[in-house]
This record gives sequence, structure tokens and C-alpha cells, in this order.
Amino acid sequence: MGTLGKYGRSVSIIGVGCTPFMYTVDHEETNGLTEGEMFGYAALKAMEDAGVNPRDVDFYFHGEASPLNGSNYLTPNVQVANWFGMKGKGSIHHSEACCTGYLAIEQAANAVASGKYDCVLTGAVEFGDSTPSPADSVETPKHPYKRDKMTMEKFLKTTAWLYDRTYTRSLMAGQELIYDDAAEWYVRTRGITPEQMNDTLNWMCINNRRNASVNPLAIERRTYESLAKEAGMTLDEYMNSPYNPRMGDFLRAGGIELKCDGAAAAILCATEKIPEIAKKLAHTPIEVLGIGSAACEASTPHFEVRATQEAVRQVYELTGLSGEDLDLFYANDFIITSHLVSAEIAGYLPYGEGWKYICDGRTAWDGDKPINTNGGRTSFGHAHAASGLADMYEACKQLWGECGEHQVKHTPKTAMLRGYGGAQNVAAVLIRTLEA
Amino acid sequence: MSIKLEKVVEKFYQGLEEGKFLGRKCPQCGNVEFPPVYACNACGSYETEWYEISGRAKLHSIVLPAALSSKPEYKKLGKFAYGEVELEEGTRFNAVVRGISKKNRAELTKKLPLDCHIAVFEREGGYKTVVFDLDEIN
Repeated sequence: MGTLGKYGRSVSIIGVGCTPFMYTVDHEETNGLTEGEMFGYAALKAMEDAGVNPRDVDFYFHGEASPLNGSNYLTPNVQVANWFGMKGKGSIHHSEACCTGYLAIEQAANAVASGKYDCVLTGAVEFGDSTPSPADSVETPKHPYKRDKMTMEKFLKTTAWLYDRTYTRSLMAGQELIYDDAAEWYVRTRGITPEQMNDTLNWMCINNRRNASVNPLAIERRTYESLAKEAGMTLDEYMNSPYNPRMGDFLRAGGIELKCDGAAAAILCATEKIPEIAKKLAHTPIEVLGIGSAACEASTPHFEVRATQEAVRQVYELTGLSGEDLDLFYANDFIITSHLVSAEIAGYLPYGEGWKYICDGRTAWDGDKPINTNGGRTSFGHAHAASGLADMYEACKQLWGECGEHQVKHTPKTAMLRGYGGAQNVAAVLIRTLEA
Repeated sequence: MSIKLEKVVEKFYQGLEEGKFLGRKCPQCGNVEFPPVYACNACGSYETEWYEISGRAKLHSIVLPAALSSKPEYKKLGKFAYGEVELEEGTRFNAVVRGISKKNRAELTKKLPLDCHIAVFEREGGYKTVVFDLDEIN
């Protein structure tokens, strides 16, 4: 459908920052954190990581899926600039819901590649688990920093806003198929049994959790093996027990996002300008090779599959790369099935065989085909807009060999991040460590 | 013809009140947009014309409702599934198809695609919408 042109000039990621993903109101030390504090922390950490001063940064992008819900803001970009030393600089807010953090890279890369700016910040923040107090409605006056828990009931009511009001909500199927459509598609097109899909869904949860268990920024670090032992069950018994109930036609509770609060950011710079701008550069720059994108509104059959196929096709056509060139893969798996279907569509896992790789544990951080080494949305957590940039934080740290206890076996050079969300935007972001 | 600012959505729902299923047909390539919108998404024509669809369709996939994917209101649908529906005119979209349950799902899945036809369903909120019924109930 679309053909990508080459960037006007090379763009590289030179620094990243990320908060822990957390339930802020549940802990005294984080209860009351505000948007400026969260976004500001991630932004300053990214600048420090890049070795740049806020004055070196020309412009910033601010992503947040639901600023009215999360911070009672309509223009959140304007409200936070002075928290990270960019008062008075130009900025823009954008929301593509759960795909925001991936398209945050798209926006920043385009701005630098065009020549308009040499160095930009792109960040995102979300309060997925809490809302300004009182949480009664968005219209009532809010306390300056106190927050209330975001109930699942309120969250699900507001997720209805992701879907077309005129037809899709009325027709019912579009918004309900998000949970199981990809699983049904995979079972039917690959010829596996529902039982094999059940095992695959469980193993994606197990692998994600193993990855999170060695990641200090992850929200849930208890392995399923330890939870099964506590419950006096085998791992298989536990994963198929009421501890992990069936919530969808295929999907179990463990395969659903852990919605939470968090922020993440990255600094992107024109590669040719790095010696001039980032005088304290600490890492090898990571070049943005290209970003494919597609969006299928939820009444479109197999929206995730179709949009992923198109986004991946675009970026491979641009770069001449294929799945065989990827060393690392990230998928926004707030519905965990995404993890399997997108890795196969991208050719990172072989057609019809991906489920076996997953069930054999080969996609965990220490396997030969690592996916979501940070723990993914079901274990790292899902601070909606911020998740994509949290994945970029993890991918860059892996490419730089800085992941410590969960560093993948062979230092990767090339990674794809498959963004997904907002019923439904898809991005296929391809990055590679720049040759010395 | 010319590009018109018109109430397409209201006319679609008023059509349902009268038992009519209105889409829009592209005069350039013949593609039918359903539910109706201004432009043609197949060839890019700016304009489409009102067109009453036949209501005959095929179901290509079956996903059963579950705790996450159901609402109390849906009980009025009886046994149903979600899936990819293809109208006789070629248009494909996600829809509700009645007549599918846990009991007959495996048998029906083997027979995909299944013939079905359009029907009207009354939603809470005082408006009607579109669902489909299987031609043959197993």
C-alpha cells in the first residue's frame, strides 16, 4: 500500500531513560508522583545517557494515551517542559494510545531527518493505574498531586473511546475481537490445535516473566515457577488452574497487560552532528533504519495481522533486510498473542514454527531467539503510551551490552520493535548499531 | 456528482429502522462500502452512491464470546460468535453472527466459510444495528 522513501539524513538514538513501571499509589515512596516528575525523570535520564544538555535539545515530542484521564490535561506537553530544562522550547503532544511510544520514534526521526532539527527529545508518560484525585469525573477540580487508584471498571469504560462511535461500537465485534482474533487466525492458518495454542499462550507468559524476574525496572518479578511451587502445583497445573483463569475464547488472565504508571524517553540526533552536539557521548549511536506503519480500524478483519504485514513489508522493502537479519525482537503484547503472531509475520520466527520456539523457551532472554527481554506488557508492565519507549530503552541497552543480569547471549546489532495499539495503529521500527 | 457534506450515518441508521441495509457503491470501480462512508477505499474515488445490499454473506472465522469479550446486553443475542463476514458484494468486516455456540463450534469451523444473512438487532440506547444469522443452524 505504501512505499517508504529514505531519510534525508541519517538519524541515531544516542541516549535513553526510563522510570520503573509501577503502581504509584500503592507505595508511600511513589504515591503522589506527578506527570512533570515522571516525564522529567525519564527525559533527564535520556539526556544524561546521551551526554547532552537540555540547551542542546531543539524540540521535544510528548506522548500520552489519555492525558485527560491521567493528569487532567488537554495540552500535557506545555505543562512539563520546565521539569527538564526545556522551558520555552517548541513541542507537540501526540496520542496513538498503546502505539504512542513507537510512533514517538517515528515523529522524532522524521523531524531530524528532514533537517529541521538536529537533536530532539521524544518521551511518553502514562498513569494507567491511577488518576488525579478525586477520581469521580474529569470535570471536578483536582488536588495538586494526590491520586486515586484507576479501577478496572473505569479503565474499561474509557477504553471504549478507542473505537469508532458511529459504526464499530454499534456493531460490537470490532472491540471484542481484540482479545482472541489473532489466536483464532494463527490456529486456523497454521493448523495447530486449540490445546497447542493454550500451551503457547502459557509459555509466552512464562518466558515474559522469566525476563522480568531479572529486570529491576519490571513491575512483576515473581516467576511462574515460584508461584506454582507456592501453590503446591506443577508449572503446567498452575498455568491451567483457576490461578490463571480463562478470560477469553483462548486468552487466559496471565496473557493480559499489567496496566500501571511509568515514563520513558529517548534522544535522537542527526548522525552527522553527534560529535558537535553530544560531546560526552557514552555509547555507539544506534541508527533508525526505517519505520513502517499502518493503521486498521477495528472493524477491519484481522486488523493486527493485516497492519503488521503491511508495516513490516514497508520497512523490509526500504532497507533490503529480512527477518533473518534480526537479532532481537520486541512486540507490544498487551494481549500476549501479539508476541507470537508479530514475530512470525516479521520472519524472526519461522512460519508455522514460532509456537514451538516459544514452548521450548527459546524466546526467553537467554534463548537463541529472544523476544521482549524486559518482560513485555504482561510482566514488565504497561504504562500505555510509555511502553514503546520503554521497549526502545531496553533494546538500546541490549544493543549496547548494558543489560547486566539479563544481557542476551550474543550482543545484538539489529532489532525490530513492533508497536501496536489504539485500535489499531501498527509500527515496525528497525534499528541497528552504527558501524564504527 | 460532486463531493457532498451529508448525513451518511443518520441515513444508515434510519434505513435500519425501515429494514433497509444501506451501503455506498463506487461508480468508478463498483466497490461497496458497508457500513457507508464518503469515499471508495478500493480505488480512491472521492464519491460513492447509495446502494442497498442484498444481505447475503459468508462467515470466514469464528471467535466465541467470553468473560472479557461480552457484556450483559449481549445476552439478548442468544448464542453467537464474532467473526470476519464477507458480503455478497465483496465487502469484508467484523460482525456478530448468531447461531454459533460452544456445542456446534468445532463442527461449524470445519465447514467454513458458512452462508449467513443480515438481520437487525435492537441495541440498548434506542437504536438498531446489524448482525448476521447462519442460514442453516446445526
